[in-house]
Amino acid sequence: MAACERPFKLPRGEPVKQQTLVEKILLRKVDEPIVKGSEYFRVPVDLVLGHDATIALLVERFRKTGRHVWDPSRCFFAADHFAPPSTPERADILTRYLSFMKEEGIPQDLLYRGISHQLMIEDKRCRPGMVICGADSHTVMAGGVGAFAMGLGSTDIMAVLLTGQAILPVPPSIKITFTGELPPWLFGKDLALEIIRQIGEGGAVDQVLEYHDLANLPMDSRFTVSNMSVEAGATAGIFVPDETLNDYLLQRDGGEPEDTAWLRPDPGAAYARDITIDVGRIKPLVALPGGMSRIIPAGEADHQRVDQVFIGSCAGGRIEDLAVAARVLRGKRVAPGVRLVVTPASQAIFEECLRNGIFAALAEAGAMITNSSCGACGGIDKGLIGAGEVCVSTSNRNFRGRMGSPDGLIYLASPFTAAAAAVAGAVVDPREVFGDEDFGTFHENPWPVSANAIGGAACSD
Amino acid sequence: MQRLIEGPALVMGDNVNTDVLHPSRFFSLDDAKVREGFLQATSNLQDVGHTDLSGKIILAGDNFGCGSSRETGARVFLLAGIKAVVARSIARIFGRNVRNLGLPAFECPDLPERLESGTIVTIDWDRWTLELSSHPGALALKPQDPFWKAVVAEGGLMPFLGFKDEVPHAAGQ
Ligand code: SF4
Repeated sequence: MAACERPFKLPRGEPVKQQTLVEKILLRKVDEPIVKGSEYFRVPVDLVLGHDATIALLVERFRKTGRHVWDPSRCFFAADHFAPPSTPERADILTRYLSFMKEEGIPQDLLYRGISHQLMIEDKRCRPGMVICGADSHTVMAGGVGAFAMGLGSTDIMAVLLTGQAILPVPPSIKITFTGELPPWLFGKDLALEIIRQIGEGGAVDQVLEYHDLANLPMDSRFTVSNMSVEAGATAGIFVPDETLNDYLLQRDGGEPEDTAWLRPDPGAAYARDITIDVGRIKPLVALPGGMSRIIPAGEADHQRVDQVFIGSCAGGRIEDLAVAARVLRGKRVAPGVRLVVTPASQAIFEECLRNGIFAALAEAGAMITNSSCGACGGIDKGLIGAGEVCVSTSNRNFRGRMGSPDGLIYLASPFTAAAAAVAGAVVDPREVFGDEDFGTFHENPWPVSANAIGGAACSD
Repeated sequence: MQRLIEGPALVMGDNVNTDVLHPSRFFSLDDAKVREGFLQATSNLQDVGHTDLSGKIILAGDNFGCGSSRETGARVFLLAGIKAVVARSIARIFGRNVRNLGLPAFECPDLPERLESGTIVTIDWDRWTLELSSHPGALALKPQDPFWKAVVAEGGLMPFLGFKDEVPHAAGQ
């Protein structure tokens, strides 16, 4: 990754001396505009994320070009949407994807190991400062490790696979600073909802959300915040690398700490907006069904009755999420008539939950646990809702029809709020269900989890 | 490339996302099935989705096409024969997706609130203006980066980059 030698000039202005994080990453990589007068550049890509659904869309078109993938070792391809397939048509889509991978010599180590975005942040290949493009909008989640990661459609991804370059502008950034102390009952999901509540559903279109974490958020919560950056329309959502990230990378990869000093934004960098969020002042939130335009405290949702609770997805199926759910549900039962569907974000998390008793606690409470895949989140399988049914979900989207019937209703909430809804059979402020019990260990040891994340020797009994 | 794009409007609201424009159950490699899904969760437009929409120009509110990157959600616009998309603002991935397939998409921040389907829309993309048969005068379109004009003029990103590609068409066209 050679740095750009000469001082960089945007076509319409002076060299950018005081740089934002995304400028640090992109400006050293770009050269001439793609066409005269344009602000779009060819940007070399470090990793391409792909999965069975969206890559399958481009296979036939790709073959017709008569070309090959520029660098198969940079393809980070998972099978997560139709894993395993639930209809013959989906099996065919998957087969087509798999044969494309074989033809092109793309590594197969990630197949059936979980949701692509979670696999990305669990993997050594994914590093701070990288440029990552993915054939899926939630590719932004790799911003949690300080990468510039963005989702693209199939045609754009096809261009990247053919040329190794994406054609991009260098977007402006919104600076978001988290301050204060994170209450034990507050999660990344609540923070993501608070951001969208403040800036609006399309409030960050064509911009990057640059997160400065002075509140010591656990990595799992950071990933949820990065993941949901795209729900505000953002191109990317990147956490400024810090000690918390370094610890995470050391635990994940071993070896030496990564030098991330070059990724620190300059003090005088120009931002489109500058927002500070005191995490100590936020209540557990829910997004009311049908989009992100109505976000309110969970305690003000009129005790809406629920038919299904879904704890899973790339936004809400990590150890932190499952651990708090197990903590809430341990020794209790899911409310009569409520379906609780649990889908871990990766098979590594699945295996961890088997080992540390989280699954035992959830299953004994009445949860239905699935293998890691997109499942109910994308309305694909195992947990769809019918007309008139109400689902509380830890996933990232509550669009009409997202999880099945267009007449089903989806509330988005944190894992704590979701687990409380499973116990109460209604949308409630989770602190009500938990009463005066101790919240203390919810955020501990997000990676790797230890047994006490769900309360001591909990689940051996 | 034509300087003027003209056609009857099909009007939609704010924050219309890809899941309502094209629900994931119509995700398929089969264009006929993809076409069937057009507008199948969009309020009040399910029936319209199944009619002949060729030549229509979409007029929509803010953040049009937000959500998923599934390109079937953009491809279906071409399969339905939609001629152009105009919205007060357009979600990034969706805007890229339609233009990458050669379909022009414009932002018009001053697009009025009350619009009726069937209004004749005239887009002039040399002058970056939009005219509506229901309203006097011309509205300004947000000028676009020259890259997008070049991509659409070439018929999509693949031809722009010099690769062979097949752009989807409405059935019977
Ligand atoms: S879990 Fe849901 S949001 Fe995440 S990649 Fe799968 S379908 Fe998309």
